[in-house]
Amino acid sequence: MSAQVSSKQPILRGEGISKFFGGLAAVSDVDFELYPGEILGLIGPNGAGKTTVINMISGAYTPSKGRIFFKEKDITGMKPYQIAHLGISRTFQVVKPFKGMTVRENVSVGAMFGAKGRERSAKEAIEAADEVLEFVGLADMADKPADSLNVASRKRLEVAKALAMGPEVLLLDEVMAGLNFGEIDKAVELILKVRESGVTILVIEHVMRAIKAITDRIFVLRHGVKIADGPPEEVLNDEEVIKAYLGRRYKELVG
Amino acid sequence: MKTGRNIIIIAVLLAVAIIIPFIANNFFIRFFTTVLMFGVLASAWNIIGGYTGYASFGNVVFYGIGAYVTAVLMEKFGVSFALALPAAGIGAALFGVVIGIPVLRLRGHYFAIATLGVAEAMKALVNNLDITEGNSGIYLPIMDMSVKAQYTFFYFSMLALLILTLGVTFIILKHKFGYGIRAIREDEDAANMVGINTTLFKIAAFGLSGLFTGLAGSLAAYQQGFIKPEAVFSVEITVKMIVMAVFGGIGHLFGPLLGAATIEVISEFLSNYFLVAHTLFFGAIVILAIIFTPKGIIQLVSGEKKLTKNFFLENIREHKV
Repeated sequence: MSAQVSSKQPILRGEGISKFFGGLAAVSDVDFELYPGEILGLIGPNGAGKTTVINMISGAYTPSKGRIFFKEKDITGMKPYQIAHLGISRTFQVVKPFKGMTVRENVSVGAMFGAKGRERSAKEAIEAADEVLEFVGLADMADKPADSLNVASRKRLEVAKALAMGPEVLLLDEVMAGLNFGEIDKAVELILKVRESGVTILVIEHVMRAIKAITDRIFVLRHGVKIADGPPEEVLNDEEVIKAYLGRRYKELVG
Repeated sequence: MKTGRNIIIIAVLLAVAIIIPFIANNFFIRFFTTVLMFGVLASAWNIIGGYTGYASFGNVVFYGIGAYVTAVLMEKFGVSFALALPAAGIGAALFGVVIGIPVLRLRGHYFAIATLGVAEAMKALVNNLDITEGNSGIYLPIMDMSVKAQYTFFYFSMLALLILTLGVTFIILKHKFGYGIRAIREDEDAANMVGINTTLFKIAAFGLSGLFTGLAGSLAAYQQGFIKPEAVFSVEITVKMIVMAVFGGIGHLFGPLLGAATIEVISEFLSNYFLVAHTLFFGAIVILAIIFTPKGIIQLVSGEKKLTKNFFLENIREHKV
């Protein structure tokens, strides 16, 4: 797997990014690189600053310090919609469907306004949305109102909206939280399929079996500081990571 | 099938609307002109309040600006109505854009209060300017036409404006802009994240709402021949358009028009029969409608929902009345 991670230029790079809320450093001085074609896992205990990192990349927050580069272009401080146009899409941990609209309309909005939106007419965007719905397995529900979906389908819709935007980089914020084992396996399958289609992925996840199954590399945050970065086997066996996050009994449990 | 049915209904309504001035007396022509005007106001409010989700409590400001631009241009500068009308619409739209830049940063109640304040401030300003002749009001040039011809003229002008408003809204909804503003209504942060320039879209929607409202204000001013700040910047007009839009069904193309027609007819009927107590009855009807058909009576009229006990119970449960 790591063969795909070449020594190419990173597609997305953070340089010493920090975010302070009042006196609290949610993220401090974090460097990261995301290489084209890889799936990078971002893990850490609750409150470690994982979502804050995604919020900074996607433009929801401006970093208090540091810079973020997308294909060597400085995107620090750009507005969310501008970053979306460049080709970075995200999902929300607490899903944000457009509730009063149908599933198809939800995904169409992504197709209309995302990175590939400009080249599509409204009608073409709706066609593109149908393709994405087919791809993620939501085609049967296209005409249902978004708020009638169950948790697993809502998570899938969140991914579909982001995918329809035509991103080069996809930021997935806990798309598997709240899913049962069967649904997690399907989500894993979907994420691998997305990567195969040429999208680079940064994924925040708590579900360890999923993390191990999909990531090429993992970086770990604790209290906003990066404490490890490397291949999954290495990072997940790192003493500090185990202590900080997984708990002492992780090894016993996993064996 | 459904679109076919809709086209037939629209064609019939349009035919009736065109015939009315030829068979009705002046009183009814004037009454229907008012219905059409409120149809425009409520439909224009629907663009910002219904589709974009920003409940403006100051839309009357566009109406007042439209009226005063028309009056000042015609009376002070001798401009013809044919030029004053578009100028009024554009003036109101520009005002919407300029004032939208700061107030559309606010959300929910704060936006509502800010727009209310804008309208009141504009009323005070117009009340104190020389060019608008302050609180004594301003006359517009008298039309050189028979009364019947005047009534017919305004009736058809208002009808044309209503068709324009609904037509533009219909086209918007089919295009990206329509999807964009609806996405903003549902979740503004998520809309921004999928690449929608939310600020631009909100301002455009507010300006568009201002355009149609301003045009209606212009027509109304010319029809009345005399306007005063208290009357054309009255909060009551804003409340009326909102109540009509909600009553009929916000976020529905024809909901606000249906609401305008129903409410005008009801209040006309009530004030005929109950000289003193009609506002009381009117209030009761509005409250009942909000409780039982919170998404508007259009849901029942369009056949989207059936008028059954379950429909009411569902609504009551959903709104925890």
